Amino acid sequence: MREQQLRDILGHMPAGVATLQGQELRYGFVNEAMRAVLGAAVEEGDAVAEHPGTIPADLLEVMRQVYDAGRPYVAKAYSLPLPATDGGPSTPRYFDIALEPVREGNGPVSGLLLFAVDVTVQEEARQRAHHLSIETRRLDTRLRVLTETVPQITFTVDAAGKFEYVSPQWYYFTGQPPTADLNAIWPLLIHPDDRLRVLYQADTARTSGVGWSYEYRLRRHDGQYRWMLSRALPELHAPDQAVFWHGALTEVHDQRELADALRRGEAELRFLADSIPELIWTATAEGFIDYYNHYTGEYSGLTKEELGPTGWINLLEPSEQAGAARRWVQSIATGQPYEGLFRMRRHDGRYRWHIIRARQLTDERGPRWFGTCTDVDDQYRLREVLQTQYDELARTNRDLDTFVYTASHDLKQPVLNLRGLFDELRRTATFNDPEEGEIIGMVDEALGQLDATLQDLAATVQEQRGLSAPVEALDLRSVADEVLLGLRAQVQESEATVSLDFAAAPTLTYGRANLRSILHNLLSNALKFADPARPLHLQVRSFLSEAGQPVLTVQDNGLGMELPGRPAPVFQPFARQHPHIAGAGVGMYLVQRIVASRGGHLEVSSTVGEGTTFTIHWFED
Amino acid sequence: MIHIVYMSRAVRPLSDQDLQELLDQCRRDNAARDVTGVLFYSHGNIAQLIEGEAEVLEPLFDVISRDGRHSNVVKLVDKPITERSFADWSMAFHPLEPGGFEALQGFLLPQHLPPPPSSLSIADAMLVDLVKLAVFGADATPAAPEPEHA
Ligand SMILES: Cc1cc2nc3c(=O)[nH]c(=O)nc-3n(C[C@H](O)[C@H](O)[C@H](O)COP(=O)(O)O)c2cc1C
Repeated sequence: MREQQLRDILGHMPAGVATLQGQELRYGFVNEAMRAVLGAAVEEGDAVAEHPGTIPADLLEVMRQVYDAGRPYVAKAYSLPLPATDGGPSTPRYFDIALEPVREGNGPVSGLLLFAVDVTVQEEARQRAHHLSIETRRLDTRLRVLTETVPQITFTVDAAGKFEYVSPQWYYFTGQPPTADLNAIWPLLIHPDDRLRVLYQADTARTSGVGWSYEYRLRRHDGQYRWMLSRALPELHAPDQAVFWHGALTEVHDQRELADALRRGEAELRFLADSIPELIWTATAEGFIDYYNHYTGEYSGLTKEELGPTGWINLLEPSEQAGAARRWVQSIATGQPYEGLFRMRRHDGRYRWHIIRARQLTDERGPRWFGTCTDVDDQYRLREVLQTQYDELARTNRDLDTFVYTASHDLKQPVLNLRGLFDELRRTATFNDPEEGEIIGMVDEALGQLDATLQDLAATVQEQRGLSAPVEALDLRSVADEVLLGLRAQVQESEATVSLDFAAAPTLTYGRANLRSILHNLLSNALKFADPARPLHLQVRSFLSEAGQPVLTVQDNGLGMELPGRPAPVFQPFARQHPHIAGAGVGMYLVQRIVASRGGHLEVSSTVGEGTTFTIHWFED
Repeated sequence: MIHIVYMSRAVRPLSDQDLQELLDQCRRDNAARDVTGVLFYSHGNIAQLIEGEAEVLEPLFDVISRDGRHSNVVKLVDKPITERSFADWSMAFHPLEPGGFEALQGFLLPQHLPPPPSSLSIADAMLVDLVKLAVFGADATPAAPEPEHA
């Protein structure tokens, strides 16, 4: 009964139990669990060697030796290739296998007791732990190599602010011995000016469980303070519960110095720009002004915001705005420098002449524009005054020449008359004077001299003014272009359009200086007497008369004038049609004289308020 | 009444379909709110002029500037105006498939853009010319010829 009970208990044990009997190791009692281990159906009395089931040869050999030696043996975590229950490939399972020799009384060994305890789960766990520890060691090594080779100092701080770890670079950088007390020394190596701030910032970050990033100066082994960037992130063990901060210290001294120098340089340049009493500005690549210096505000009386990215245009004299804007857009499109002379409104509403210049700077930061507006108002006005005075002088000079010329011409006749009278007097009258002959001779000589002087005078003036230059075949258009070039300031000022039509008679055989003088006088006259109410339109036309002689007309839509009566008026020197306008008179007189001296004549028709047409018949038909 | 001009960069290139959807949505919404203006788009560059009542435009600009389709929104002008310069709302861009677009209401090819209307001040007209230049480059905005020298 006791044996039956024992069998039942053994039969249901989770560990495998079997008895093997005799030298041949025949199966005796085999419980359920052991049957599962052995796999193949084993019968009581079968020899293990003939029905080994899953028992490999080496285990069988060990069984025999245990039997022979009579000493028990335990194989720990022995792997048996059990077939999988679902018929799949066999997976190794692990068993602690105990072999116990059985003796009858004190006699020799008569069998073996075989125990097999399944330790697969434990074995697998052990193996996993083993692999894990290998992997951990590997990662650890890698981390150590990395933290010790990167140029940064790496560190770990706990929640109380105590250093857990600092990489060897710290000792290398600070020159502290490996025995140094990190927590005591570190704060002392921070620059006194940065210390409190750093300690406070680190403390605040730790208490709020967040990372940090700040810069401070740390003392190097040579006593120099170097700028460091300290960055750290918390290691959270539970949400919101940071336990460690891991971070790195990077030396940023050189970058920092460079940035400082750049900032200083920029601040200095800006200070410079703001100190100069001239309008200075910069613009983006797209052409929008992004900086006006202080003086721009002072000059215009407007803030940067009021001026805006294109508001400088509003400062220009309204009639100049469109042209200035068009050229700025063009400069932005092409990168060509910008330059122009413009009137710019001052805060008091007065316009002053400025030269606006801008150039593009292209570097790694992309293109930008730098501009200045230089006040040239005083120079401009001075130049205008000088120009007026110069023109006045030139005109007076010309007038004088003309006067001398006409006077010498006009005196010729009286001198001729005088000589005739004197000859007559000498023939009819007698003088009661012994020195009569001598006096008559002197008068004669004086008259001769007077005549010669007059002729010389006329010749000199004529020569000087090129009035007697030889004639040549002239291209009317090229001479007219030359003259217009000289008058371009006046043309621009009066916004005149000039149309030249020489197609019908393109050349003229004439003295070059004379033709130029005539055209100059006619055109400048027309420009002077433009009607301010409308833009001047000037038409110059050349054609052949019915008789085949060349004719030139100059027609304008200017003020027009009262003509003193028909036919063609005689232009008197120094007579002016429009007393309020400077410098007419002699010019037209001269034109008439030149044309007449070459055998032609000048006609004029004019309507007040509509315009004037001059017609030159170069040669009589 | 005010007008606002800004420039921005598309976060990623806008496709023909993106642009047409934007065109449709804006034409509908802007007409409803009496907002007029023009939008330029090319190669991710965006510039827009909108005009309308300040109470409408300020919040609209807020919405537009936070639109995830573009970033780097830089406002260039935001100021009172006395009259509108655009009759409705339109967009100008180079579609990849121009075929269907030319007939669309409110769509313009960049090279067909009229010069800025004369109701704009010269400074504002220049600003529009400059943003057009910045968006489309120099080729699409032929510089006006210099006036003929008399
Ligand atoms: C470049 C760009 C321009 C836009 N312009 C307008 C516009 O003029 N009018 C408008 O209603 N929405 C415009 N939008 C769309 C708005 O940002 C927004 O998506 C739209 O108003 C829909 O808003 P809702 O969802 O609140 O209705 C624009 C979006 C982008 C990206």
